[in-house]
Amino acid sequence: MTLVYFQILSAALFSIGLYGVLVRRSAVLILLCIELMLNAVNINLIAFSAYSEPIVATGQVIAIFVITIAAAEVGLALAIIINLFRNKGSVDIDEVDLMKW
Amino acid sequence: MSLLEFSIIEGIQMAWLAPAISVLAFVLIVVFRLFESKLGSAISILGAISGLSIVGYVVNQFDKTGAGEFSSEWFTVGSTVITVGITVDQLSVVMLAIVTFVALLVQIYSISYMKDEPRVGWYFAVHSLFVASMLILVLANNLLILYFAWELVGLCSYLLIGFWYEKRAAAEAAKKAFVTTRIGDVGLLIGIILLFKATGTFQISTIIHIAQQGGIADTSLMVAVLLLFLGAMGKSAQFPLHVWLPDAMEGPTPVSALIHAATMVVAGVYLVARVFPLFELAPPITLTIVAIVGLTTAIIGASIALVMTDLKKVLAYSTISHLGFMMLALGSGAYVVAMFHLFTHAFAKALLFLSAGSVDHGTGGKRDIRELGGLRHRMPITTITFSIGALALAGVPPLSGFFSKDEIMMAVMDGMHPIFFIIATLAVLMSSLYMVRVLILVFFGELKPENDGAHESPALMTIPLVILAMMSLVVGFFSSNWKSFFGEEASHDIDPLVLGLSISMSIGGLFLGWAIYTKRWVAPEEIAEKLKLFGRPAANGYYIDSFYQWTIDRIVLVFANMVALFDRIVVNDTVVNGTGYSVFLSAFKLRYLETGKLYNYALAMVIGVLFIGISKYWGIL
Repeated sequence: MTLVYFQILSAALFSIGLYGVLVRRSAVLILLCIELMLNAVNINLIAFSAYSEPIVATGQVIAIFVITIAAAEVGLALAIIINLFRNKGSVDIDEVDLMKW
Repeated sequence: MSLLEFSIIEGIQMAWLAPAISVLAFVLIVVFRLFESKLGSAISILGAISGLSIVGYVVNQFDKTGAGEFSSEWFTVGSTVITVGITVDQLSVVMLAIVTFVALLVQIYSISYMKDEPRVGWYFAVHSLFVASMLILVLANNLLILYFAWELVGLCSYLLIGFWYEKRAAAEAAKKAFVTTRIGDVGLLIGIILLFKATGTFQISTIIHIAQQGGIADTSLMVAVLLLFLGAMGKSAQFPLHVWLPDAMEGPTPVSALIHAATMVVAGVYLVARVFPLFELAPPITLTIVAIVGLTTAIIGASIALVMTDLKKVLAYSTISHLGFMMLALGSGAYVVAMFHLFTHAFAKALLFLSAGSVDHGTGGKRDIRELGGLRHRMPITTITFSIGALALAGVPPLSGFFSKDEIMMAVMDGMHPIFFIIATLAVLMSSLYMVRVLILVFFGELKPENDGAHESPALMTIPLVILAMMSLVVGFFSSNWKSFFGEEASHDIDPLVLGLSISMSIGGLFLGWAIYTKRWVAPEEIAEKLKLFGRPAANGYYIDSFYQWTIDRIVLVFANMVALFDRIVVNDTVVNGTGYSVFLSAFKLRYLETGKLYNYALAMVIGVLFIGISKYWGIL
């Protein structure tokens, strides 16, 4: 096992997440894809941390921060989505284009 | 020397109080809004009386202590210290005396002359302001202060010419006076700046000192003093900037007497006399230019005065002519003589104007000399005072004008080419002729029936006339004291040729006038017919006004319209509005980029990050 496998995995996860964010119309799915991207970052952080010489725990610590913030973010985003659903009757983001010219 | 190191309420440095009191009078009238009350005139006259007494005290002290200059720091810019201060020397003492004395008499006269005017308080307020600024002008030891006072007297002149601003002619005349003198003032300002650039100071004595040590290059000195002279030409109504003075006669007559005969118009002569060492140090052509301008003005003014029919306009052109004489004397290098003529002329001309005002008052506003005549039967005092003024100005011995004119002729004979002398002699003859013409047409001959109601003016008006007449009678005798006062020995030997010519020209003019207008050996109409070729251009002021009008209409306004068009089309429509419109247009198109779709924004973000990443990788950014 070398570092590069972890990087490939991380990059693949990130790209899948990015693709989902860009093409999906459902707000819930976009949220899920963002989680994917965050986790790709986490994998990267931990891998670099584990392979560093001498071993430091910085990466792991930051990963825990990311997980915490992701949880908070999901809580906030789901609240928005619920409100969106109550107002529009759907979570399709095409419906939410009020902020334009 | 700091002003504060001296006691400022004794000695000659107390002269600063004279303008201060007049300023105070002005401020009091304006602050308490006494524009329509007689109290305004009382305050103003009190100011003038205290001014005159202070000047009397200063003159007295001056006899004991001699000249002095006092200044204190005003402000500092970088390493340049700008001072404010006064100089009390022969020149300024003489001017102080003339200004306060004539101003007081004119103000006393004005009480009666202006008593029916609704805005009499305003009139006196501006009068006080004028006296203050004129005193500052003559006291200033500093070109900056001088310029400031110079503009102030111009402003007062504007306000007083336009005193009857309901009258269109008066408003126009005020504007014309302001704009015409402004042309000269620009020159004055540039000249002052050039001198400052060359010497780093505004103080007149220092500038002269530096120039005397050769600190200013010849050509730049010449350019600077000629620009100062341009300012003097505007203020002193020298050809070709004289056109405003005849029009200024639209103002009240006492104003014409004070501002446009005795004081403000001689500011130019005073300025040249004040910086006279600079004129002497500049290449000799400079003084020749001054003399030529003076001579041209003298002869042009005199010839126009010969054919004018408006009493005040005759006097105005006569003033122009005599200001020309003063400039001629300056150009001949005799500034003391010029100042002497200024002195005698101030009294004689103020007297003539005030007498003209008295005529105007007594006949119900008539100023056309063809409608007047025989007034000696109705206005004896005015007749006598006017005659004294006229004869003094004509240069008849032993009145004051004779002495000063004689001195000028002698200076011209000494210092200039004979051609100057010949033309000046001609101007003297004309001067005598137009004075006697006015005198005979207005005061002698038959009293016209429509003027039967003419009456002598009240004592408030005649007393100043009598005082001025006495001054005109006697001041000429101070001619020799004058020179020693200015520290020149009265060395001029009396040249019998000059003296004889001068007297015979004056008397000859009188005789000629008597022959033409009283005896009618040759009828004036006949002469006018014969000399139509000269008479008509003169009656129209040699078409100088028309020429200016043509220039303004055809050149200045056309150019102005072109500039205005450029401003509208290029600056306004293209640059300013064009910028705004292009922003509007681009915004109109670009706002569709804001789709409101989340994934569009996200894509833009991703592309941006990719762009930055790739550029970093390739090392572009």
